[in-house]
Amino acid sequence: MIGYVLRRLLHLIPVLLLGSAAVWAIIYAVPGDPVSVLVGENATAEQIAAATAKYGLDRPALVQYADWLWRALHGDLGTSIHASEPVLKLILERLPATFQLAFLATIVALVLGIPVAIASALKPGSWVDRILSLWNALTLGVPTFWLGILLILWFSVEMRWLPSASTYIPLWEDPVAALRSLILPAVTLGVYVSGVLARFLRASLVNEMRSDYVRTARSKGLWEWQVVGVHILRNALLPFVTIVGLMMANFIGGAVVTEAVFTYPGLGRLLIQAISTRDYPLIQGCIIVIMVIYILINLSVDVFYAYIDPRIEYK
Amino acid sequence: MPLAKPVLSVRDLTVAFGGTGKPVPVVRGISFDVFANEVFCIVGESGSGKSVTSLAVSGLLPETADVSGSIVIGDTEIVGASAAVLRHVRSQDLGFIFQDPATTLNPVLRVGRQIVEGEVTHGRLRPSEAQVRAAELLREVDIADPVSRAQQYPHQFSGGMRQRAVIAMAMAGKPRLIIADEPTTALDVTVQAQVLSLLQRRQAETAAAVILITHDLGVVAEIAHRVAVMYAGRIVETGTVDEIFSSPRHPYTRALLRSIPRGDAVHARLDAIPGQPPTPETLPAGCPFHPRCVIGKERGECRTTEPLLRPIGADQQAACHFAEEKLLPAEARRTDFSGPAGEKAGDSLLEVDALKVHFPVRAGILKRVVGWVRAVDGVSLTVRVGETVSLVGESGCGKTTTARTIMGLVPATGGDVRFEGRSLLKLSSSRMREARRQMQYVFQDPYAALNPVLPVEEVVAEPLRLHGLYETAGGAARIAELFEMVGLSRRMFGRYPSEFSGGQRQRIGIARALALNPRLLILDEPVSALDVSIQAQVLNLLQDLQKELKLAYLFISHNLSVVQHMSDRVAVMYLGRIVEQAARDEIYRTPTHPYTQSLLSAAPVPDPTLGRTRRRIILEGEIPNPAAPPAGCTFHPRCFRSDEHCRRVAPSVVSYPGASIYVACHHPSDPMIPSIVREQSMEAGE
Amino acid sequence: MKLTFGKLSAFGRALLRHKGAAAALAFLSVVALVAAFADFMPFDPFRQRLVDALKGPSQAHWFGTDELGRDIFARVVYGARTSLTTAAGAVAIAAAVGVPMGLVSGFFGGWRDAALMRFVDVMMTLPAILFAMALIAILGRSQIAAIVAVGITGIPSFARITRAQTLTLRSRDFVVAVEAFGGSARYNMFRTILPNSWSPILVQVVVLCSVAILLEAALAFLGVGVAPPTPSWGEMLRSGKSYLHEAPYYAVLPGLILTLTILSFDALGRAMADLLGERYEIRKSGSEGAA
Repeated sequence: MIGYVLRRLLHLIPVLLLGSAAVWAIIYAVPGDPVSVLVGENATAEQIAAATAKYGLDRPALVQYADWLWRALHGDLGTSIHASEPVLKLILERLPATFQLAFLATIVALVLGIPVAIASALKPGSWVDRILSLWNALTLGVPTFWLGILLILWFSVEMRWLPSASTYIPLWEDPVAALRSLILPAVTLGVYVSGVLARFLRASLVNEMRSDYVRTARSKGLWEWQVVGVHILRNALLPFVTIVGLMMANFIGGAVVTEAVFTYPGLGRLLIQAISTRDYPLIQGCIIVIMVIYILINLSVDVFYAYIDPRIEYK
Repeated sequence: MPLAKPVLSVRDLTVAFGGTGKPVPVVRGISFDVFANEVFCIVGESGSGKSVTSLAVSGLLPETADVSGSIVIGDTEIVGASAAVLRHVRSQDLGFIFQDPATTLNPVLRVGRQIVEGEVTHGRLRPSEAQVRAAELLREVDIADPVSRAQQYPHQFSGGMRQRAVIAMAMAGKPRLIIADEPTTALDVTVQAQVLSLLQRRQAETAAAVILITHDLGVVAEIAHRVAVMYAGRIVETGTVDEIFSSPRHPYTRALLRSIPRGDAVHARLDAIPGQPPTPETLPAGCPFHPRCVIGKERGECRTTEPLLRPIGADQQAACHFAEEKLLPAEARRTDFSGPAGEKAGDSLLEVDALKVHFPVRAGILKRVVGWVRAVDGVSLTVRVGETVSLVGESGCGKTTTARTIMGLVPATGGDVRFEGRSLLKLSSSRMREARRQMQYVFQDPYAALNPVLPVEEVVAEPLRLHGLYETAGGAARIAELFEMVGLSRRMFGRYPSEFSGGQRQRIGIARALALNPRLLILDEPVSALDVSIQAQVLNLLQDLQKELKLAYLFISHNLSVVQHMSDRVAVMYLGRIVEQAARDEIYRTPTHPYTQSLLSAAPVPDPTLGRTRRRIILEGEIPNPAAPPAGCTFHPRCFRSDEHCRRVAPSVVSYPGASIYVACHHPSDPMIPSIVREQSMEAGE
Repeated sequence: MKLTFGKLSAFGRALLRHKGAAAALAFLSVVALVAAFADFMPFDPFRQRLVDALKGPSQAHWFGTDELGRDIFARVVYGARTSLTTAAGAVAIAAAVGVPMGLVSGFFGGWRDAALMRFVDVMMTLPAILFAMALIAILGRSQIAAIVAVGITGIPSFARITRAQTLTLRSRDFVVAVEAFGGSARYNMFRTILPNSWSPILVQVVVLCSVAILLEAALAFLGVGVAPPTPSWGEMLRSGKSYLHEAPYYAVLPGLILTLTILSFDALGRAMADLLGERYEIRKSGSEGAA
């Protein structure tokens, strides 16, 4: 088991190296001089000279990358041009908000998605299945920013029940206020993903139901709930774990749009601000952090999967 | 026996699949009884309705099926029964053994748990005793170390062991009726023999009634007490196994028995049944068999009225208007046929010399090579002009890899392949292309071998186009000629492979292989995916083509009777090596290698009388993992003659003066004494 | 069903018989036609009349007017043009790069395959929208940038689908047969495997159209899409969001058209997947985050 985890970690090295090189190269890829990118276009000659010295921009590219990587590994992601604060600090401030939203959205997605999938898979082609597949199509097709706007229009503008702009309040400090503030973005994000989850789970359930072992289970005279609950669900939920993991990983950086709709202070909004102010160190920092989180979540999912699926042996 | 009350009684069973359109009847009114302590075989080709019948009996058909008639197990009516009744019957009276042991068991649950799950659910077994009982059931089906095996998952079991576990599961509730749907079709011949004898033994021990569904007449002869032959959704003949095999009365049964290759008539041409079996959508009017029937083809009654099953003898019934009519004996109808090759074979065409194909086993992050699978490990053989040499062996023995390496599709690790004296392995790719024109390949699965997006004439033309010879060869006229050669019509041009039946597709595959006028065809299990009646057609076609075009064949097969019918010489492979090689008659009459002997004795013969008298060698265990073959002689762990020497030293090939036999064994039988089963040491198994 | 040229018209007829697909096709044709012939229509998406600002839907302005008094319907029509051309360009890039990549890596395996899979892995570590945003941060805002950014995010999905298809077909006997007759690797890839892979690729084209439209709108909504004043549905939602109290129709109506367009592509894709017996790619290449 430990060997398996170690091996998976080793597999990540090339991905991380490639990814970080790409992120580091952002500054070089921008048209114009990287120095002016770092200090701003209206900088004086002294400022440019100082920055060149400070960032070591006169050294060979590979040395600069190694240096950048070395610092990044020690938690130094540089300083934000706009906020003049360490990038890592800015990011760490936003992470709890992002995690909280991702957590709630995952719950919404699972609560909506799993029952829908099971109900429609049990009787493919029935009216329940048709209604649910229509619902699925809607959740997948409606852009979250439009859904978010509709929710704000109804619950905030029309009914005045909930705030239209969400703020970050830790759940453990004031659960009610936190939920009031988070419920709309969590539903917006969760509804969309529930469609993805339901579609995947339904497909794998229907697939499993056609398997021979289901016929075997029936031929033993088992109750239908045993056939579905023990035999089918166990097999269908295995690949589902991976999808849920991927979804959570995507919430970390991918809630940009939802955060924008509800002006929620998460990592995604920080990245948009960074892009709109051309704050390149901050852009780099956000992206690399999102990458690393994604990779770690994915790794845990794979390890968990290997743990629950008896067919995988960690040789 | 008929006086007793049947365990299962089926009356006028019909099953139709509706879907959206008009319902298509798949089973069209069949009746039969099965009694305690007997094995009742239902035999038929694909689409005859045999599997649907077995699923209907257990109420396992999907909801789209429209079932009518009556099925009574014990005292319970199954047709129209509620879910609760069905569940009760399945738990109490019924055990089911399915075809493919690889998918029958749930991959994520422990085997022991699955075996006793039904018992626990119905309160016949306390959960605390489940473990012990599961191990006990596994022991009853001869699984070694049953206690720890019960704790394992299905993927840790080999194919034969999985099927044993399924048998244990079916028997767990001591059911009165066991339904086995093609229980050995997915297994190798030596493992099939193990599983069949186990099934027979357990059936006798429990006095259960068994319905066995199969397409294999050999299996029927081996295990059945009574037989029902199905065709186009009906039972066309039923009787005791001896009656069916010795005096079949329905023309279909007779034709079926004559179309299988048999050891006693190797020089005769096979009596193929012409045409295709009908599909449920395209049933002919009158007797559904009349378009293919030798006696009914021209008769008005057969064309208009479908005959009903009626008594012919004491226990025998047949559904034929002319069942009493005496036919000419089967042999007399056979046109005289000189057998394979005809005149003595000529110069050597293909020489394979100590061929080795090893595949690396890689592991770890750096993909280091940690071992080698010796798929082919020193194979030598020669194919001469116009003769047929067969490579026979069980799955994983390396016969297909050998064939593909000869073809240049898999790189060889060592040894040499010479065609007309020229080594093929060292050729440049353009020279290789040239050489390949002389040597063509026919694939096993006719459904996978043809490009589905090309019309069939393009499929056949593709080799010509690839070599830029399409125009030179005569273009469309040449393609039409090739179609004619394999018995197809040029009116079929423009249709796609999916519109053809398996047999027709295999003909298209043969036409394609002939397009470049090759001298050697490598036939990789060319008939094993086909129904028995179609098999005979294709085998006859291959023999005709061989005579006409002076072709040499390298024939790859696991089917010993087909090999016997087709070959001049036979090579038996086991774990990447040829263990015995000899002229056809010598190897079948006096096999010397213990593996050949057991293979020959394990293959079911379609003759119940012979089946009862001959003694069988049932090998223990299954084929070992080729990545970790046993030391010494690779066959020694399963061999009934192995000793200390065999465990340590791999045997080299020896030949016999006066015989064509080459054998790799420390203790071969003497080929001069013609008997398969005469040694004391061969009592293993039975 | 295997899609061949011979069966193309049969496939078309089957699509038209499929209710969902027919409705989707009808809607998409209207959107495409209106977008193509927008120049001949009697309205101007750029004409500002501040006196008319934020007026609700009326005879003169079907969808009302925006904060500058521009006709929202006219802007939706021209926005369709932006949306459809961006999607078409992006899908073309993604397919043109991804399909050959998948073919080569699936056919040859080895280092080519390892390289492709690492590339896909790296791409997968970022949600598509972030990837596109990062690219636009480099390229600057323009329609070309949007096309390239969205197109690149679509490459992995084509590469993976084609690779998976190639891997299954690679060992099939009819591919081995061509090799046995002396066909070259190139012949096998492009003449045997590719024609047998049209079904999943075609389905993916349609799926990716809906993803690309969504992604383009999302980028514009975040203010990094096509630069104003070029009309874009996402940009309209972005501005409309500031006037939810005064003019709810401003964000709602363009959003409705956007949603219907995405739903239509989605419905079309699923109908095609059904008819062709392909599995509908649910994961949409990590576009979850694009939402």
